[in-house]
Amino acid sequence: MSAADPKTLAERSEEIYRDYEFTTVRRWKERTGGLAIGYMPIYVPRELLHAQGCLPVGILGGGDDLEIIRGDAFYQSYICHIPRSTIELGLNGSLDCLDGMLFPAICDVIRNLSGIWKLKFPDKLSRYLDVPQVFEPELGGMFYRHELEELASELERRGAKPLEPEALRESIRVFNENRALVREVYDLRIREPWKVPSAELYVLMRAGLVLPVEEFTAMLREYLDGVRADEDRKPMDQARILLTGSFCEQPPLGLIKTLERAGCYIVDDDLVQIHRWLLHDIPEDGDPMDRLVQAFLDDSMESPTRYIDERGKGKELVERVEGSRAEGVIFCAPSFCDPALLDQPMVVKAVEKAGIPWTAFKYAENNGQFQVIREQAGTFADSIKLWSGV
Amino acid sequence: MTNPNMETLLVAGIDIGSSAVKVAVMEDRGEKGADLLFGRGERIRKRDPHQVAADLFEHALSEASVRRDRLAYVATTGEGEGVPFRTGHFYGMTTHARGGRWMDPEAEAVLDVGGLHARAVKMDEKAKVLGYRMTSQCASGSGQFLENISRYLGITIDEIGPLSLQAQNPEQCSSICAVLAETDVINMVSRGIPTPDIIKGIHQSMAGRYLRLLNSIGIKKVALVTGGLAADVGLLQAIREAGESQGLKLEIRSHEHSMLAGAIGAALWGGYRARKLAAKGIGLGLGGAGA
Repeated sequence: MSAADPKTLAERSEEIYRDYEFTTVRRWKERTGGLAIGYMPIYVPRELLHAQGCLPVGILGGGDDLEIIRGDAFYQSYICHIPRSTIELGLNGSLDCLDGMLFPAICDVIRNLSGIWKLKFPDKLSRYLDVPQVFEPELGGMFYRHELEELASELERRGAKPLEPEALRESIRVFNENRALVREVYDLRIREPWKVPSAELYVLMRAGLVLPVEEFTAMLREYLDGVRADEDRKPMDQARILLTGSFCEQPPLGLIKTLERAGCYIVDDDLVQIHRWLLHDIPEDGDPMDRLVQAFLDDSMESPTRYIDERGKGKELVERVEGSRAEGVIFCAPSFCDPALLDQPMVVKAVEKAGIPWTAFKYAENNGQFQVIREQAGTFADSIKLWSGV
Repeated sequence: MTNPNMETLLVAGIDIGSSAVKVAVMEDRGEKGADLLFGRGERIRKRDPHQVAADLFEHALSEASVRRDRLAYVATTGEGEGVPFRTGHFYGMTTHARGGRWMDPEAEAVLDVGGLHARAVKMDEKAKVLGYRMTSQCASGSGQFLENISRYLGITIDEIGPLSLQAQNPEQCSSICAVLAETDVINMVSRGIPTPDIIKGIHQSMAGRYLRLLNSIGIKKVALVTGGLAADVGLLQAIREAGESQGLKLEIRSHEHSMLAGAIGAALWGGYRARKLAAKGIGLGLGGAGA
């Protein structure tokens, strides 16, 4: 059997990513009768939902195609765009297929959104998922376990299967398999970024937010086989860039394409972060709930939404720059994103101290013009290629 | 690679502008200099710019007697990011600075006047961009504007420069807005103002804008005009006269290959990158530029 055409897979993924009707979710519900549970960025324990027979559905805002009619009425002008478009999706019926929404602790805006959701959709499950900021098992671990047990009970009350340890262990295995492939495709991008254009990788990961994990795993396998077999993908002389700050509200696809066209290979990023939030597999032995909790405490990515001592801020980013052999950093955060923009000065300091070139700009998910970013990224790529020690 | 010891490289630059495509094929000897083997610009005229670029590139290789697989680097600039056979892309200001420096090592700045905008770019002796200023969004300082005017006046774009030099009493024209300037021109025609005086008035208004750009980045001695309008002798004269009238000692120069500055600069930066990458043992497989 010949390998699948990666471009076709990317086109299919982009269709899924741009489908505001969530057709794949609706079909899954018709087929299984299970609960579809939406979640906001950045991280929810999808293994738990999966073990209870639910479909986790990542809702990362409305992107650049959605016209905001009612969403703006809920937020002031100095608030980011993602809550407006998410409200819009809720009010225009796009999210009718969801039986509930989870709002992980990201920032006050998302916490506020969870409250609005409760008021606007009182019949649906709506839960603010509080996560620990103290990472000691007897404190944060106990708190988080309690939080997850409450969530499992609430799902069960809504018609999900009871949470059984063996089912959770199996779900951990299924997601471990998926995580391994995600790591493989990102590692391939570090080694051969011309094989895995970031615009393709991005839509693939976005599709993975709404597809059942088993389908997404199969898609990743096909994609990897396809790109490895595609000999037309040749290297070009582009600057290797690490993109950071885009962990919650996502940039429009056009922005990612613009960066690549302007002469950058994005070799690492924090887009669609949930697929890579846990750095390693969750051990499949022992008590699976303990393992799930422990993984969050000990094996999560560094993020502005997670407590880090001020002195340590930026250290992990510098290590990622080294690990991905990036030649520069682009701080690319949504306008008015408190977590990203409050941390940025401290992270910039660490990046500068390490002698890494950087530039910064902001975006909103519905930006449609990229000329200024194109010029900024183009000159940044030139400065790396011509004037840095690279 | 052209030469294993990297002494002499064959490189190409492709500059896709808003109204023309320019291609340069060069022999680059690094610090020992570089020669233009073949260079040409071709107007796009409502065709697919990438197809024009591909055809012109093939033609340039043939004229320069260079095989594709002998090229160490195919660099694009301008709107050339989508050229599939490129090795790498450089931003327009970076390439005009390099191309300008190759043409005139004394130039402190290039004044790139293209189809849609003009920009003054200050550079150092290594062609590193130190600063720049661009015309604002309005097109009254661009080649596209001059093209429109030539259409109203019923003359070809090539006639503009020589006619401007024949002006006796240049008529003042708006320098703020292309729409106002075009209205001015229609009024002048209806008032029977001679064509050379109309054109000279336009050139003077453009020259004033360009001088302001150069002044704002602190250029005092030599500026080289690049881009498509560098061939407009009337415009060059108007800029020189404007400088003199302000008591400036700024020398405005042009070069026979000024229009190719972006393509030449891209080719030369390509050669620089090819050497840099080779020194680090990084192979690009010619980025699809191979035969």
